[in-house]
Amino acid sequence: MPNVNLSKIARQCRLDLVDMLYQSGGGHLGGPLSSMDILTTLYFGKIFDFKKDHFILSAGHLAAGLYSVLANAEFFDKKELKNFTSFNSFLQGHVSTKTPGVEYSSGSLGQGLSFAAGLALGDSSKSVVCLTTDGEHQEGQIWEAAMFASKYKLGNLINIVDYNNFQIDGSTNDIMPLDNLASKYVQFGWTVTTVDGHDFNKLTKILKDSKKSNYPNCIIAKTILGKGISFIEKDFHYHDIKNMTPEFYLKAKTKL
Amino acid sequence: MNLNSMRASFGKTLTKLAETNNDIYVVDADLKSALELNEFAQKFPKRFIECGVAESNAAGIAAGLAKSGKTVFLTSFSCFSPAINWNVIKQSICYNLANVKIVGSHSGLMSTTLGATHQMLEDIALMRSLPEMEVFSPVDSIETEKIVKVLSRSRHPAYLRLVRTTTPDIFDPKISFTIGKSQVLKKGKDITVVGHGPILYQAFQSQAKLNLDKPYISLEIINCSSIKPLDVETILKSVKKTGRLICIEDHQQNGGLGEMVASLILSNNIKCKFIHLAVKDSFGRSAKTYEKLYDYYGIGVNDLILAAKKIIK
Repeated sequence: MPNVNLSKIARQCRLDLVDMLYQSGGGHLGGPLSSMDILTTLYFGKIFDFKKDHFILSAGHLAAGLYSVLANAEFFDKKELKNFTSFNSFLQGHVSTKTPGVEYSSGSLGQGLSFAAGLALGDSSKSVVCLTTDGEHQEGQIWEAAMFASKYKLGNLINIVDYNNFQIDGSTNDIMPLDNLASKYVQFGWTVTTVDGHDFNKLTKILKDSKKSNYPNCIIAKTILGKGISFIEKDFHYHDIKNMTPEFYLKAKTKL
Repeated sequence: MNLNSMRASFGKTLTKLAETNNDIYVVDADLKSALELNEFAQKFPKRFIECGVAESNAAGIAAGLAKSGKTVFLTSFSCFSPAINWNVIKQSICYNLANVKIVGSHSGLMSTTLGATHQMLEDIALMRSLPEMEVFSPVDSIETEKIVKVLSRSRHPAYLRLVRTTTPDIFDPKISFTIGKSQVLKKGKDITVVGHGPILYQAFQSQAKLNLDKPYISLEIINCSSIKPLDVETILKSVKKTGRLICIEDHQQNGGLGEMVASLILSNNIKCKFIHLAVKDSFGRSAKTYEKLYDYYGIGVNDLILAAKKIIK
């Protein structure tokens, strides 16, 4: 049975994201849309309490999506979204702790998993959820962190990979193939699950299961770049959008 | 003159502090013996986190641990940390204001036999350019102990520069170390000599030789162990008096302390002659003693004496 509630919230977050990028001039689009259902499940799925548990966004360019979710979760006033990337706004172009509800500032890829692992070690009674991307796994530091989390058996650490098959300049397969990411994580000693990153019920179940693990957890969420705006889906040119036109805006809203 | 190890002083002091402060953690990258942390690791295995030779991850782990409330000492050689993991220090530690103390040993030419790759001559430049980062370079083992104690109580990102060899103890044990304060190690009237780290001992050796001349040149020797924040007041006061400044450091000229004090003097419209003794845009090389290397790179005792005689004219 489809999870109507989460689906409805995710739709609202996508609409707010598009409003936000239209009103502020632009920003990252494809990734925030592919990871929106994951973020919605995290913040509205009643699995974690991020006033105590920790969420670390490693891929800082997904900021706009997280801001939209945090505004809907009432961490701050939704009216602030239109000020995204403006001089006096706390909504920085890459995710920042200036924003209420954000625990880690990032933008340079590959660093968040280490930070999350350190936090998981220091605050072992809480869950630490990290969101990375498939392209980000080209950074070597990710694999240093993967070794570390395995050595220290960080069962409270969950790495969700937003696996949308694209990065800024094209498809991940062309630029630097990850081949079988799941088997790599298995080899590194992690518990690995692959899931449809747009299926709320499955995401909810896997996240609940992952909370009880003795080993670090990797959830490979297969997603669609630009999910929800059908005419930009799987098109890497929409990694980000500059100066969104009224035509694009209206068309995108009707698709959502 | 007693020769002692800054590394031993660091390891011993931190181990002692950890006995009463349960929040002190060490995040290490396979150099616990070199940083004299074997005892720490034995006594506090749960607070000694071994990351292996993976300095970027180690910096991130340190930042995450710090955010859970710990005071984290991230230990390695400076040619690896902060050299390999600079951007992790920038983002995960400084931008996120994580309470991490980066301890980089084997800085400067004092790594002697190890050669260019292990003679870190760029660490001050890397660290002083980062917002939120404090930078400290103790003059000897006594000051190392004092700085480590102060750092264990601070909540701020910091870099601590250590060296490989044993060095002469010259710091007065009765004087306390304060962040942002320099000490005038010796008062003088003709030339202000500023520097950081054990190389400052050469200023005393130079003075001893200069004393043989009549009339002799009198050096005012200032220990700038707190490189950032810098003690502007003490330096300016001395330079206003002498009108001559020599900066000596075991570091590249580019990005070192000398550029900081030169900028300071120009910005304050002070009339002053200036000589900067530092490594001039070159890589290091192996030698059995650091004195040999200091002479080769133009930062030895004789170079300081020559600079003093030149600047006095």
